[in-house]
Parts: sequence; structure tokens; C-alpha cells
Amino acid sequence: MGAVDLGGGGSRHKKGGGVKKPKRVGFVLDMTPLVDVAFLLLTFFMFATTMSQPQIMEMAIPPSLDVPVEVQASRLLTIYVRDDGRLFYNTGLDPRMTPLEESDLSNFLVQRNAEKGNELITSLKVDPRAKYARLIDVLDRMNLAEGELIERYRADNMTRERRFAIVSMTEEDKQELAKL
Amino acid sequence: MAHKPKRVGFKLDMTPLVDVAFLLLTFFMFTAKFKSDAENEQKFEIKRPSASADTTKLPEVGTALVKIGIDPKTGDTVMYYAVTNEKDREPVYRYLPGISPEEAETVAQVQVLDTTALGALVIASRRQDNRMKFAIDADRRIDFRRVEQVMNTFRSQGATIFNFVTVSGSDPGAS
Repeated sequence: MGAVDLGGGGSRHKKGGGVKKPKRVGFVLDMTPLVDVAFLLLTFFMFATTMSQPQIMEMAIPPSLDVPVEVQASRLLTIYVRDDGRLFYNTGLDPRMTPLEESDLSNFLVQRNAEKGNELITSLKVDPRAKYARLIDVLDRMNLAEGELIERYRADNMTRERRFAIVSMTEEDKQELAKL
Repeated sequence: MAHKPKRVGFKLDMTPLVDVAFLLLTFFMFTAKFKSDAENEQKFEIKRPSASADTTKLPEVGTALVKIGIDPKTGDTVMYYAVTNEKDREPVYRYLPGISPEEAETVAQVQVLDTTALGALVIASRRQDNRMKFAIDADRRIDFRRVEQVMNTFRSQGATIFNFVTVSGSDPGAS
């Protein structure tokens, strides 16, 4: 085909004659908006998928007991959740119930367990009229206390054995709590 | 001769950056969890309670969920039972009193009206898959009474290990 002489020939003549300069069609595509949208979608999916994952809290309930188990009263700690959501506790068979703030619950449990070692039995009684969210809140704080206790026990080379049960609240409990 | 200032030019080719961005995008698009069949069908809502100490994710297979939600229109508490594995659904749902065989085949979750119905479903689930995991997915506003009933049913039907479904919430400040 030979070389096509473009520049020199065209500039020398005004119009017509000479070599006709082929019209060069250039594609200039600015990809900026495409990349912006891609990053936006990426950020969206990054946040939307990881944040909405539900998680689970494990629970184990003892099978129905036919034979009541005898325990030493001093080993028993009962935590009560009243129908308005307030927390109380008592030790053993002592009828006096002491109020407890949620924010103190974890520290209180760690302290009590540190005194008794693995001997402390914790039972949780929740008023049926209380909101389910309170139960989860209490269990959450108890789990946090457990985490710390496991750490502490490991430091002393002991294994932590948790003794815990959710028990039905009796009518007497409800009446006692109503007085406070 | 005039000193021509040395022009330092930066020419950066962004192609690999854009390639990686699209790759990540595709990855996240595929791992996005979309609403399951059961969730699309349901007409009630569940606002889960928050818990900070939970880190295990809800398993997507081999689980039987007892859902206790609130109908947004009437404010009533409703209970549904959902089995996640499709092949386990019909063999379990058929034991719900009052269900038609066609409904047991097609529906993703069934409404439970009383504890005997729930008990029948729990025992059917355990028979269908002896490693079936049970979970209670309840709205945080319901009374504990409903959860207590479910827990008692679990106990009487031998499902002694189960889970509560929560969402991650800020630390309640244990220390």
C-alpha cells in the first residue's frame, strides 16, 4: 500500500487537491462514573452482608428431674427478674431479696463465683410477664461474667464448671417481689 | 539556550485497581445472604434482642426455628415453626394438627397455635434428623411467658440443647 503522506501534503494546499486527510474518529471514554458506581456497590455489599447476620446464644436445659436434688443452701444464688424488668437476688433460702442493677450484674457474679469456686449454683427466675429482651440481657451479662471467670480460673490452673438453671417463678416469689 | 524546566509527569494506570474493585464486588455479591423463602412469606416481624457476647452465627442448615413474632397490623403475638432444610419440611409439617397434605408440601413455615402442636412438630423434627438443632427466634417485646412455654415443650420432647437468636449489640459494659 505504501506510505500515506498525510501532514505535509494537506497543509500546503488550502482546499481540494492533494491527499484527502482521512477523518480519524477517536473514542475517548471517561470511565470515572463507572468506577464510582462500582466502588459504591462494593461498599454497600461490604456493609450490608456482614452486619445483618443473626447470631445465636447457646442454652442447655436439664431434662425433667424426677428426684429432687439436695443442695446446701449457702451454695445457692437466685437471681430474680421482676415483671417490670428490675433485678433482685437472694442467697440460699433467705427470704430477703436485694435489688441489683443490671450494670452491676456481671461484676457481682464474678465476685460471688470467685468466693465459692465451682460450688456456686446460680438459678434464674423470670416473671412470665417480664419482656423476653430482659432475659436475653441478663443471660448476655452472665455469659460475659462467665468469660471472665474462665480466664481467672485458667490463671489458677482450674477448669470452670458452670452450674446454672432457669427455674419457674413461684407465686410466693411474685408476692415477695411485689412488695419491694 | 533557555533551560527547559524538567517536567515530571505522573502517569498512573488505574486498570489493576479497577480490576480488583470489580473482583471484590463480585465476591460480595455472591456471598450476600438474601431473604429465605420463609422470610419472604411471613407477614409478621421479629425484632431480635441484642447480645454482645454471642459470636456463633446462626447455622443455615439442619435447624428448626421456633419463631415468635408480632403481627404489625394487629399487635398479636404469633408463633411459627420453620425447618431450614427443604427436604425435611414435609415429613415434619405433616404432623401439625389440621394441616392439609398440599400445604405441608409447599409452605416454608407453619403457624403453631398451641403447645401440643409445637410438641408434635419438635418430636417429628427429632425423628426426621436426630442432629437437628433447635433455636428460638423471638421478638424482644414479647412476654417471657411465651418463651417459657416453648422451653418447657423442648424439655418434655427431649430437645435439651437449643439456641436463642440474637443480633450483635454494643457491649452493655461488663466491666
